[in-house]
Amino acid sequence: MKWYVIRRVLWAAFASFIILTITFVLMDQVPNQQLMQAEFQAAVNDVDVETAVQAEKERLGLDRPFHERYLDFMTNVFQGDWGWSYEYDQPVVDVVRETVPYSLLYGVPAIVLSTVIGTAIGLYSAVNQYTKKDYAATFAAFFGISIPNFWFGIVLLVVFGSWLGWVPIGWNADIPLAADGSWTLLETAGSDHPAFFRQDFEGERYVGILSPANLKQLILPTFVLMTGAIASVMRYARAEALEYVDADFVKTAKSKGVSNRAIVTKHIFRPASIPLMTILVGRILGLVLFGSYLIEVVFGIPGIGLASFQAIIRQDTDLVAITILLPTFVAIVGNLIEDIMYAVLDPRIDYGDR
Amino acid sequence: MSTRDDTTDVRDVPTERDDQPLLKISNLHTYFRTDSEDVRAVDGVSLTVDPGETVAIVGESGSGKTVASEAITRLFKSPPGYIPEGSIEINGREITDLSDEELRRVRGGEVSHVFQNPQGALNPVYTIGWQIREALQLHADVSKSEARERAVELLTQVGIPEASSRLDDYPHEFSGGMKQRVLIAIALACEPDLLIADEPTTALDVTIQAQILELLAELQEQRDMGMLFITHDLGVVAEIADRVAVMYAGKIMEKGSVEDVFETPAHPYTRALLDCLPGRGGIGGIPGELPDPRSPPPGCRFADRCRHAIDACRTGDQPGMHRVGDAPDHTTSCVHFEPGRDSSTVLDAGSEPAGSPSPPDDLERGGRR
Amino acid sequence: MGEDTDTRTKADGGTAPRDVTFEQVDWDEIDADGVARSRKRVAWLAVVSLWTIGVAYDLYSRFVAETGQAAFPVLGSVSPVDWLWSFTLLVLLYYGVVPLYENPRMTRYYWKEFKKNKAAVVSALYLIVVFAIGVIGPRVLPEPEPTPGLENQPPVWGSIEAYSAGTSCAGGTTTVDGVTMCQGSWQHPFGTTSSGEDILLSSIYGMEVSMQVGLIATLMSISVAAAVGLTAAYYGGLVDEVLMRYVDIQMTFPTFFLFLLLAYTIGSSLFVLILIFGLFGWGSSARIMRSEALQRREEPYMKAAKNAGASSLWTIRRHLLPNISNSLITAATLTIPSIILAEAAIAFLGLGDPTVPSWGRLISDGRDQLRTAWWISTIPGGFLFFTILAFNFLGDALRDALDPRHGGSGE
Ligand code: SF4
Repeated sequence: MKWYVIRRVLWAAFASFIILTITFVLMDQVPNQQLMQAEFQAAVNDVDVETAVQAEKERLGLDRPFHERYLDFMTNVFQGDWGWSYEYDQPVVDVVRETVPYSLLYGVPAIVLSTVIGTAIGLYSAVNQYTKKDYAATFAAFFGISIPNFWFGIVLLVVFGSWLGWVPIGWNADIPLAADGSWTLLETAGSDHPAFFRQDFEGERYVGILSPANLKQLILPTFVLMTGAIASVMRYARAEALEYVDADFVKTAKSKGVSNRAIVTKHIFRPASIPLMTILVGRILGLVLFGSYLIEVVFGIPGIGLASFQAIIRQDTDLVAITILLPTFVAIVGNLIEDIMYAVLDPRIDYGDR
Repeated sequence: MSTRDDTTDVRDVPTERDDQPLLKISNLHTYFRTDSEDVRAVDGVSLTVDPGETVAIVGESGSGKTVASEAITRLFKSPPGYIPEGSIEINGREITDLSDEELRRVRGGEVSHVFQNPQGALNPVYTIGWQIREALQLHADVSKSEARERAVELLTQVGIPEASSRLDDYPHEFSGGMKQRVLIAIALACEPDLLIADEPTTALDVTIQAQILELLAELQEQRDMGMLFITHDLGVVAEIADRVAVMYAGKIMEKGSVEDVFETPAHPYTRALLDCLPGRGGIGGIPGELPDPRSPPPGCRFADRCRHAIDACRTGDQPGMHRVGDAPDHTTSCVHFEPGRDSSTVLDAGSEPAGSPSPPDDLERGGRR
Repeated sequence: MGEDTDTRTKADGGTAPRDVTFEQVDWDEIDADGVARSRKRVAWLAVVSLWTIGVAYDLYSRFVAETGQAAFPVLGSVSPVDWLWSFTLLVLLYYGVVPLYENPRMTRYYWKEFKKNKAAVVSALYLIVVFAIGVIGPRVLPEPEPTPGLENQPPVWGSIEAYSAGTSCAGGTTTVDGVTMCQGSWQHPFGTTSSGEDILLSSIYGMEVSMQVGLIATLMSISVAAAVGLTAAYYGGLVDEVLMRYVDIQMTFPTFFLFLLLAYTIGSSLFVLILIFGLFGWGSSARIMRSEALQRREEPYMKAAKNAGASSLWTIRRHLLPNISNSLITAATLTIPSIILAEAAIAFLGLGDPTVPSWGRLISDGRDQLRTAWWISTIPGGFLFFTILAFNFLGDALRDALDPRHGGSGE
């Protein structure tokens, strides 16, 4: 068991190392924005382009041999020095620190809710296999997994934002913040709060993460992110539970006189939950990360996905690298946790090999 | 054994015991809905089990014997399964119309089951101690420590060595035979009046089979429990049962005491089955196949495979149960035993000629489900 | 091929020579006389050779002679994507349509099974229509072009405030409550984008893009997956270990982010995107192939082939591959929608080729116009959604039909 965990951890570290290396090599191919800038400047100022570029290269350390830069890159990544974002004009690490909370704001509720709801529907569907409800649920799940998040978000914005006017179309990034720019759960603020820029009103309004205005603007992104996730969780949960619905031990439990509810929760769900968790952590995380990236672009939420999107458009290479690496590492850690959890939870697992 | 006394007190059985069977199944039908016609797995079965008695139902796969045994406490999957008609009485109480909640108390309380395959019959993610305790606590208000004590007691009774140290083990740490013992312990946890054992030894090694049979017989003796034993193996029947019912295509073909049936097998199907036993001459299985359970043919269900079939076999319903000889409750469902016909056509016929060269265990391979 | 193979082998009475037995799994004509089959094979080889020569000539004139794209008689110049596309269509024709046509009995059987699944039938019809329009449309219809003056035209049934639309109105104007409204017209049934591109036309061109990306990349992806999976399973040991560890690494990268990274760094012309999707998204399919092949490896015919001294390549190609073709087909049908979605997402993020009329790009074009011109994003997105949905339904139905071990989940 101990060795198993150690092996998994080592493997995760190795995979991360490989991924960092690949990223570095790939990013090295991209034309450097600053060099191009310098080149452009030189051309405008009518100085020798060659020397200007060379000087800039030296300044940035790009003239050094490949392996030195590679080593530098690796050490920097581990020391949290993730480079400079020209777009945001601040260190990448600060950009990440500022944007991630926005992603968590809707990502966390979406993950939690979709896991709970998806599992519940999947179990229900499996227990009622071949009934109309089961067919309806599986059929609906097809729509859930097929609908492109970003398009669905747009459709909902058109319907609820543009036509019905129930939710704002633009996303107000200042609402969950206090007047001084720090995060707050709930408080009141006057019209001088940045969220109410160019709005005139008397008295005070709620701001903060739990303020009605913030919750309102979070509903659609959370919902959109959830649809796909619920559908996938549901399908996995159903398939997993079906393995056990007709299992002999379920019949044993039934013959002991266990109630239907206890059969579902104790005898079917418990064994099904173990492989299920494996799937959930890995795949759902991937799904949510991917979904949130696009959703932020659609809704204009200033989270990590939007930052990455803008970095890509503006060729802000350092930021692109980190914003792509970050979800990748989340996925690696997720996979690691999932493997370890699986080993801890399932008494049947044999740790002898691998 | 303390709990045992309690239960006997609670149920006022003793006085009624003599005149009332423990289990009385009358004209039981169990069908399964499909896209086309219903599958008639059990199609009119009547049977009784008295307290302390072992009754065996014997038949091939697909004969409906397992469904019949599971229908008693409605264990079959529903939907699609349902009981269109018939009555099941336990200790004189009708249980076909019980609600799920009431039935739940019968399951494991009055009637327990042991199933064919011990490998999958224990939940892999719980310790066996937990699983025995669950059974105990469902039917009696016992504390955790009491339940634990009782679990050790039960495991010892079913022959698990060092029971107390094994309570916290998971099923995968037990061998097949040991698992079956644990399952028997679970089944016995609440002192059932009736134990339904569905091929409890089929999946086990031969040596273990004998041990488990012995254990069951012993436990039954100790507890004066009724047992309904489902099997395809006539050898096992001879060993363990008092009475036997031979089932074919959802119907009972012959029933009677084990001695009578083995001495004077009456129904052509029973005779064919006995001929298949090793050392009895015939080596082949019975040629032919089970009739389609969706639309069984008129007349005798066995007609297509019966070498004694006559025109009368193919009309009307399955022949009624007719007395065989003078034995008190030895009856069979064959036209040749109708009053006024000559039953010796069947009884005096020699051994079946060896049929198709299929091996005897084809008996177990029939079209299940 | 599980059940089917077995039963059909049995139907042959097991007397057919080994080679024929596996031919039929290859979906070739069972009863065809050898002449017809070899003639078909010759034709196929000829077509493939022609194609190869074409590609070689194109490569030669581009990189060796450096005279730019080669010009072919009739065809003119052929783009790299078109090379791949034509090859994909050929493969589809030879391994998909031809066997079905030659085996009417089997086709009828599959059709009977398939017909039971209503959702899949509707999906298949939809996909055939999209495919046909996607292939033919761009050949006969003019390319969608920005038309100044005709921006933000509403769909035929809709209208828009004239100040939000271009200077002219294809469908004339009306006045409602004192506001001049621009009406939709049949000239642009689905309206136009904010640069005046016709949405119907763009969507039709988008169909071709989606089908190209989906089918070409899937063909590549599945080929690589099969090659890796089968090799790993066949050789086992170190080969297996190395290949599968590589798959592990590739798969620790969430697919989308890997695509994103590659598209960002390598480039994102349609051709490169297809290569990226085709060459880096095959991890999970390879795992499926491997586990499937591992089961087959132990079967008697594999042993027999080995004992008979068949070469490894031969055994893998002629014996192992045909017997996992069911998983292959299923994996392919389920890979297509994920690749189409990935392409749309990347185009939506603006990473795609701006000259390619992808659905994703159209959706992103309309993102800033939700209040005024809702149809720009939603209509092409609708095509995208239904295409993905249809492929998913189809994949599920195929899995049910071809692989009895999976319980059905669709209706
Ligand atoms: S009734 Fe007829 S067919 Fe049936 S067992 Fe008797 S003789 Fe055979």
